[in-house]
Amino acid sequence: MIGNDLVDLQQAEKDSNWKRKGFMEKIFTRSEQFLINSATKPAQMVWLLWSMKEAAYKIHTRDTKMRSFAPASIHCANLVLHETEASGLVSYDKEHYHTQTAINSNFIHTLAVRKREQLQQFKVLIESYNPLSSAYRQRNPSSVSHHGRYLALVFMEYL
Amino acid sequence: MSMPVSFLKNITMDKSELTSRLKTIITTYTQETEALDHLNEQTDFIRDLKINSANLVDIVLDVEEDFGIEIDNDAMSRMLSVGAAIAIIETKLAAHDRK
Repeated sequence: MIGNDLVDLQQAEKDSNWKRKGFMEKIFTRSEQFLINSATKPAQMVWLLWSMKEAAYKIHTRDTKMRSFAPASIHCANLVLHETEASGLVSYDKEHYHTQTAINSNFIHTLAVRKREQLQQFKVLIESYNPLSSAYRQRNPSSVSHHGRYLALVFMEYL
Repeated sequence: MSMPVSFLKNITMDKSELTSRLKTIITTYTQETEALDHLNEQTDFIRDLKINSANLVDIVLDVEEDFGIEIDNDAMSRMLSVGAAIAIIETKLAAHDRK
């Protein structure tokens, strides 16, 4: 199955102070902290790694029905970062997940899958979120994520 | 026989005081006033209080500061409900006293 996670960067900025003492150590591994500290845009790297972990975690929880809050045990690796996209590999509890992330100044969105080729089988639409409407459900998205101003809908591509 | 002040302070912190201090911390991170009004050990941070996972880290850090304890990542992984949080705080406070 797939998992996806959306971060509205404006909302994240408002809700979380990632520079708070102790915050990074609870969420990120040493090598992830190194990536953040050496990034030209540290905040972007924080939420990029965060969304990778969350997207992979969502698949894992659904598959195992196990709930556990251990973000630092979810490891991001093989990160390839471009201007508006990134890809990587996330490992958690002996399982591996491939991730594809879209990045811009407003949001970061990550799609996680079990097999790399599945990344091509899904299409992601980011729309503005209307808290009063659930009309998007009628379009039968495979996976949904919402944060702040945005709604992410993932659809399977019909070949 | 005299006991260290910190021991007396912690041993006299009953569950209701502990819960009320925890509730004060939680209040900052949730808008779910109804669930907050009916807060009990079964209350789930994510399902009932709709706390996002980044703020769950803030709660753990606030608890560490307020109670003067350290919550390791293993304990944090289980901290998904009010009851679990109380149990972890009690265990850490007791371990603190034995030192």
